[in-house]
Amino acid sequence: MTSTLKIEGLRVEVAGKEVLKGLSLTMHSGEVHAIMGPNGSGKSTLAHALTGHPGYRVLEGSVTIDGVELLTMSPTDRAREGLMLVLQQPFEIPGVRSFDLLEAAGADPTTLRARMLDEARRIELPPELLDRFVNVDLSGGERKRAEMVQLGVLRPKFALLDEIDSGLDVDALDAVAQRLVAATTEWNCGVLAITHFRRLLLELTPTMIHVMSGGRVVATGGPELAVTLERDGYETFRDASN
Amino acid sequence: MTTFADSASTFIANRPDAATRRLAWSVFEATGLPTTTDEVWRYAPLGDLDLGHFEVPSAPSDPPDSDFAAQLCQRAGLVVRVVDGFCVSTGDVVEGVNVEVDESSESLAGETLVRRYEGDTFALLNVALAPGATVIRVAAGVNVREPVVVLNESTAGASFPRTQIVVGRGASVTVVEYFEGGRDALVVPVSEYRLDDNASLQLITYQRLDSTAWHVARTTGFLSRDARLHQAIVGLGAHYDRARNDAEMLGAGAANELRTTFLGSGNQVHDFRTRQYHVAPRTTSTLLSKGAVADHSRSVYTGLIEIEKGAKRTDARQTNHNLLLSPNAHADSVPNLDIRENDVMCAHASSVGPLDELQRWYLESRGVSRHDAQRLLIQGFFYEMLSALPSELAELVESDVASVLSSVAEVIS
Repeated sequence: MTSTLKIEGLRVEVAGKEVLKGLSLTMHSGEVHAIMGPNGSGKSTLAHALTGHPGYRVLEGSVTIDGVELLTMSPTDRAREGLMLVLQQPFEIPGVRSFDLLEAAGADPTTLRARMLDEARRIELPPELLDRFVNVDLSGGERKRAEMVQLGVLRPKFALLDEIDSGLDVDALDAVAQRLVAATTEWNCGVLAITHFRRLLLELTPTMIHVMSGGRVVATGGPELAVTLERDGYETFRDASN
Repeated sequence: MTTFADSASTFIANRPDAATRRLAWSVFEATGLPTTTDEVWRYAPLGDLDLGHFEVPSAPSDPPDSDFAAQLCQRAGLVVRVVDGFCVSTGDVVEGVNVEVDESSESLAGETLVRRYEGDTFALLNVALAPGATVIRVAAGVNVREPVVVLNESTAGASFPRTQIVVGRGASVTVVEYFEGGRDALVVPVSEYRLDDNASLQLITYQRLDSTAWHVARTTGFLSRDARLHQAIVGLGAHYDRARNDAEMLGAGAANELRTTFLGSGNQVHDFRTRQYHVAPRTTSTLLSKGAVADHSRSVYTGLIEIEKGAKRTDARQTNHNLLLSPNAHADSVPNLDIRENDVMCAHASSVGPLDELQRWYLESRGVSRHDAQRLLIQGFFYEMLSALPSELAELVESDVASVLSSVAEVIS
């Protein structure tokens, strides 16, 4: 079944300042879209607002999966509707193991261990790291791989990647990207990748690129848009938003 | 006269060593109960304590064991049963371990109990009113393989368990002091531990009394050369839970590790006092206290590290972390140092704060419910405390604590 993630006229305030000023975007499951934009354009705000981060206040707009409004839901229920954020810097949770996190997130405990091992193997995360506390004593690359284990177990309808390429070495980046591409066919996962580097996109090969500036999507196009951005920078698009 | 004074008077008249008991009672009467103007009792809800209505039992009752107590006993090599302060069973014979009841009113410190505890009102009541001391002796050189469980059960009224553990030279043993029951009761335990040279005692004090109980406990460890006292104290129960835990490092190289864990809910008060007293050189004390308070509960942790002149190269560390689970809960942390020697290492750290909102959001953003996220974070906070328990008991205590944590996480959701 094809699902649709629809963001309409989203306005979000952070610390009293309006950062998203009417953002709209639609994508379907199985697709890979990228959001690119300069620092301060509101990319991370989008990721956090969608998942109900406590520091972000939605002023107006709508975010739906298959017509079901997410913005009125708790972060838990949004996740259960199929939205998962893969963080740039996943939090350390001392004293809590990934197994317990995933079991509490709804994974079947009888098969969970085997699934975690399988996912760790696929993403080349040493299996003994699964027994560490969530993200504790893991390198930046290992954390992203550990996030992929969670993704593979939880199988969200839409994965939202918040600049996961920053601080990641090329091997880890490729492994993460390959896992995400596989997810788009395995369970028809939709991937929305937020980035300001092109490197991740070479592996992910998005079908649509959205350029953000000043809290809005100012341009949407095919993969060629990433090439234009790489060549000309964001300046031309910045002008377009004014 | 009150129920308490009447029953105490009858009790004393019918026990051996009535003279010592009367002496302790007279010191108690002269000083009376402490009040909250006394700094060390500042946080105790003493206004709610109606000592007069507690009856001192003349004989133990016969309460059934809880499921937890039964499971604990299954893991023990020796079970000593104490009901309302009376030792009712000294358990099976274990080689190298001797259990008996002593009514001599002597402290393991080598002086009388009256002298030892003359400044401590509640401990004096124990001196006057404990049916006797349950004394567990481990012979020199004996390594007791399975844990010894001292099952303290209290029914109504006032009870005064007294435990003395003597670990001979080079011997080692694990002892669990477990407390349950105590509905509308006053429970005042006094425990002493004497560790001879190179002896090792791993001690778990698990307090699971009824939420209406008053629990005022005092423990003291006396450590000879190279002795090791590893203590884990877990306080979940009681309306007012007070524990003063002292360790005296009397021989060179003695080491005390103390981990106190508490969880408060409702109107509970957890009031922990510690004193690590370093007398001999090269002694160490490592103290870690972690507690969480929910609802209207509160906690106090006051720790004193005292280092005598001559206790060179002492290493003493104190850490106290508190989790506030409700805006109406409160935690105080008061570390104190009293150092009379220059050549020492000393450190203390403390923190008080709520659950991390962003960690909680991270868990929730994976589809974990608010309740489970809080439960996981609280469990995570306590993990290092419970993981230090001996392996044969860790799972049992962990799952019991987890069930209490879960109910607290439910309330604060």
